[in-house]
Formats: sequence, structure tokens, C-alpha cells
Amino acid sequence: MPTIEVEHLVKIYPGATRAVDDLTFAVGGGEFFGFLGPNGAGKTTTIRILATLLHATSGQTRVTGIDVTRDPATVRSRIGFAMQTVAIDPLATGRESLEIMGRLYRVPSSQLRDRVAELLALMGLTDAADRKAGTYSGGMRRRLDLASALVHRPSVLFLDEPTEGLDPQSRSALWAELQRIRDEGTTMFLTTHYMEEADALCDRIAIIDRGQIVISGTPAELKRSIGADTVELHLMSDAGDGLVEAQDQVTRRLAGLTALRSLERTEVGVRLAVVEASSAIPELFRRLQGDGGMIRGLAMSKPTLADVFLRYTGREIRSEAADQPIDLGWWG
Amino acid sequence: MLTALAWFGHDAFYLGQRSLRRVYRVPANPISIVLYPLIQLFVFSQLYKDIVQLPGFGGGVSYLAYLAPGQIAFTVFFAVAWSGGNLLYDYRNGYLDKLRVAPISRYAILAGEFVPLFITCVAMASIILALAVLMGAPIATGLSGAIAVALLGGAFGVAWSGTSFVPALITKNEQATSTLSILFFPIAFMSTAFVPTALMPQWLQVVNAWNPISHVIEAMRSLMTVGFEWDLLGRALASILLVGVVLHAGTLWAFRRLTN
Repeated sequence: MPTIEVEHLVKIYPGATRAVDDLTFAVGGGEFFGFLGPNGAGKTTTIRILATLLHATSGQTRVTGIDVTRDPATVRSRIGFAMQTVAIDPLATGRESLEIMGRLYRVPSSQLRDRVAELLALMGLTDAADRKAGTYSGGMRRRLDLASALVHRPSVLFLDEPTEGLDPQSRSALWAELQRIRDEGTTMFLTTHYMEEADALCDRIAIIDRGQIVISGTPAELKRSIGADTVELHLMSDAGDGLVEAQDQVTRRLAGLTALRSLERTEVGVRLAVVEASSAIPELFRRLQGDGGMIRGLAMSKPTLADVFLRYTGREIRSEAADQPIDLGWWG
Repeated sequence: MLTALAWFGHDAFYLGQRSLRRVYRVPANPISIVLYPLIQLFVFSQLYKDIVQLPGFGGGVSYLAYLAPGQIAFTVFFAVAWSGGNLLYDYRNGYLDKLRVAPISRYAILAGEFVPLFITCVAMASIILALAVLMGAPIATGLSGAIAVALLGGAFGVAWSGTSFVPALITKNEQATSTLSILFFPIAFMSTAFVPTALMPQWLQVVNAWNPISHVIEAMRSLMTVGFEWDLLGRALASILLVGVVLHAGTLWAFRRLTN
């Protein structure tokens, strides 16, 4: 039985915005699953429905076999949720913050003290444990927030944009932390608009756009589906007008190469789409031999999830910071 | 059922402990609650010292003694005006969502706000009362009466809290909340906090027959200057109960609306 099951999930907000439009997917026990998509794709809506914070308009959602709509209380006791906005109590110390969460999640008093100390150590917050959380840096707040979602050892951890707003160093530290939590057997559900994050962490990804899953699979599968690697050849062009000649020559010599999918002229040479470029390179060089001096440089790149996203949605994923919803108050 | 109730108490206790931190870890908060009523107590008791010679006062009591219960009510007003903002702060920074994901009753979250509010009101009322007595106000009923005055202050604070919680939960805006809370202050100024009804125009006399604060103030005043007058105490408790039921219904409605 999958740990998370979603069938035909639909969420329509007042004003008829279809934030989530007929989603169906399942996440297996112990799996690290990620929703990758631009802001406004429906990621946060989905995760908030799964975490019992939002009612679905229609569709079925079960977490650890429990229907989220019918028995939210049981679901709540089994999940942890680190939200997009880090919510800490600035007047409580790190230790107090974790202790109160432990109390509310009914961690037995006999275990609470040890569990809190363990989490503080795990998150590198032991030294700051008795300082008010209001004095913490952004990275520390994130870690404290994550720790507070873990006090009761949830079997499923929901992470909504967990590294939003972190510097690269804190980000990779947090990634290592998330992997460790997953290694303990926790099922992980992550949303992100960072390609590298989904790639580094997830066993399986669903690309979500405009409330719908566009494609899903392992990161490797998705990238393989693009079909070819990119090889860029930087050609001799000192003379300036020699470039076109060199491009012509390369085109002629590579004609009929089976691994070659396409050839494109660039400002400094050519860009090739080559299937399994790493094994095709020797043959490529053999063909260009004799004019080896013509090649000034070579860059090879594997397809990235950005290519995958572009291919399946026809758009580039925007990587600006996630929009924080601003509640203007009154009835707005 | 019993276990559910026990867990409710358990959760409210720890949430209340957290709310209470906001009072004692930020000394500016309790100070701001008690400061204005204290200034009023000091200044007005000097400025209008001789007002008690007017016939409506009945004579025999200093204006300081007359004024003190009203200033206790003012402290409670200030504590309450500030209270709904806490929940709003949690709502805005996402902490309320964090609590909503926890396997607790959402009403425990509200209870976790009311218990510390009660404690704050009792503590602030005690401070005003103690200072008034030090300045020379009587406390006819002794320690038990003093405790009763403080408890009345606490109970009235919890009952009255809807005047802050309802605007907070509906507008979700701090500024609107504090402005709307101030709207309730004229009710305190119109009460018998400063002058007895005998000196008021006819329409204010009618208003004060229905002004819950006046009933609470009258009960406190009798505890300080006369003794245990059970009819006055009964009227004060009935006012608190009535205000509490009405305003808490509003708070519950607004809280459900916010958390759904």
C-alpha cells in the first residue's frame, strides 16, 4: 500500500481558480518524492491539502492509508510538516520551541528531554539551544523549524520549499540532513522550484504545471527522455571569416554520424545534440582528425531537469524567489 | 471523552505557558498595560481630590478610594486591547498553521490565550490595588476582599477579550484591531469609574444601568469601601457571564472562520 495516495484531486479557490486540476499520484513507503514546478503551479495547495490544512474541492487523499478528509486527527499525529514560511516563536528558546511541539505531539515526558537534545545536536543548534529563537540566523531558524516537525518521529515528512531563501552552504547542509532523515525510513514529500534540489534529493519527481502533472519519473528517466547530450565545439575563428568555413567543414565531416541528432551553428562554433556523448566522442574526434587543430575547446553537458521542464511544458522554469502570499486583511 | 478533556487541558496548559512568555519576557508589555491607569490614579486622585464633597458621592470616602476600582477596570481594558493581536501575530507568521497541523483541538489554542490573559489581568489588578492601598485607599474586606477584586478583574478580562479577538480574527490586521479596541474605551469613560451615576445626565444613568463595566466597578468599590455586598457581587458576576457568553460566541465564530 502506498504511503501517500492521491486520486483525482481538485482544488478550486473562490473566484474559480483551479489551483489543482485532477491530480493522481502515489508515493511509496520510504520514498523521497518531489513536486517540481514554477510558483503558482499548485504545489503548496497540494501539500496543504495532504497535511490537513486545506479542504479539497473533490478527489481522494490518503496518507498512511488514512483518509485525510475523514480522519485528519490521525493523519496529523503521523505527519510532520515544514512549511514554506518558517514559523518560529521569537520569544521561546530553541529548546523550549521543540519541547512545546513535543508536548503537543504527545511525546512521552520520559523521552522528551532526550529527543529534544538529540534533534538540537542533529541540527547543530546545541550551542544556541538556550538562546531565544528570535536571535537566530535564517539558516538556524530553518533548521529549528525542521526539527520541530520531527520531534514525534513522523512516518511522513512534508517539506514545502524547504531551502527557500537559504545561502548555498546552508542549503547543501540541509540537503544532507534531509537525506539522513530519509535514510531512517521516513517517507518524504517535497515541493521545490529548484531543479538541482529535486535532482539531488528525490527518488522520483512529478513535474507540475498549472495544477496538473505534466510528467513523472526518476530524475534519470526524465533526463534520458530528452534523448541527447549537448556537445559544444569552440572552433578556430581568429581570421573571423574562417568560422563559416570551419563550420561547413565540421558539418561535412560529421554527416552520417549515427549518434548525432542535430547540429546548430553558434557564434563561436557548433552545438551538437549527441546521444550518449561520452561514448560517441572518440568517433567524433576520429572524424575531425587531421583538422584537430581547428577545435579550440569542447564542452559537454548532460540534459538537466531544466531541459526536461522546457521540453514538457514548453516554458522555462522561473527561478525567482517564491512569492509569499500577502494577506492584506479585511476580506481581501 | 475524559481523555479528550484531559488532553485539552494538557495542550492548553503548554500553549498557555507559551503565551505567558510574551508577557514576562517582554517587560514593556506588562508595563504598558499598567502605566496609563496608574498615571490616571495618581494624577486624578490629586487633581479632583475635592470632588467627593459633591452630594452624589455620599461622602465619607476619599476620591482615591473612589477612583481605584475604575483604574483596575482600565488596566483590564488595556490588557484585553492587546490580547487579540497575539493570535494575529501567530496567524501571520505561520505559527498558527503549525499548531493546526498538530494533533490538538484548535480550541485548545484559544484556551491557551485565555488562561494567560486571566493571569495577566489578575496580576495587573493586584498591582493597582496594592499601590492604591499603599497610597491610602481602604480595603474594607481585607485580604479575601482584595483577592476577590483581583479575580473579578481577571474574569472580566477574559469575558471582555472578545472585543479584541473578534476584530483581530475578522480584520486580520493589527492596526484595525487596536483601533477597533479603542472604540470600546468610551464605555469605560462613561462608566462609574470617575463619577457616580447621581452626577450624570439622565441618558448616561440609563446607559450605566446596562453598562457591564459599571457593575464590575461597583462591586469592586463596595469590596474596598463597604464590605461584602452580595447583591452587587451577584450583579457583577451576572454582567461578566452575560458579556462572556455573547463575546465568546463571537470569538468562537470568528476563530472557526479563520481556521477553516
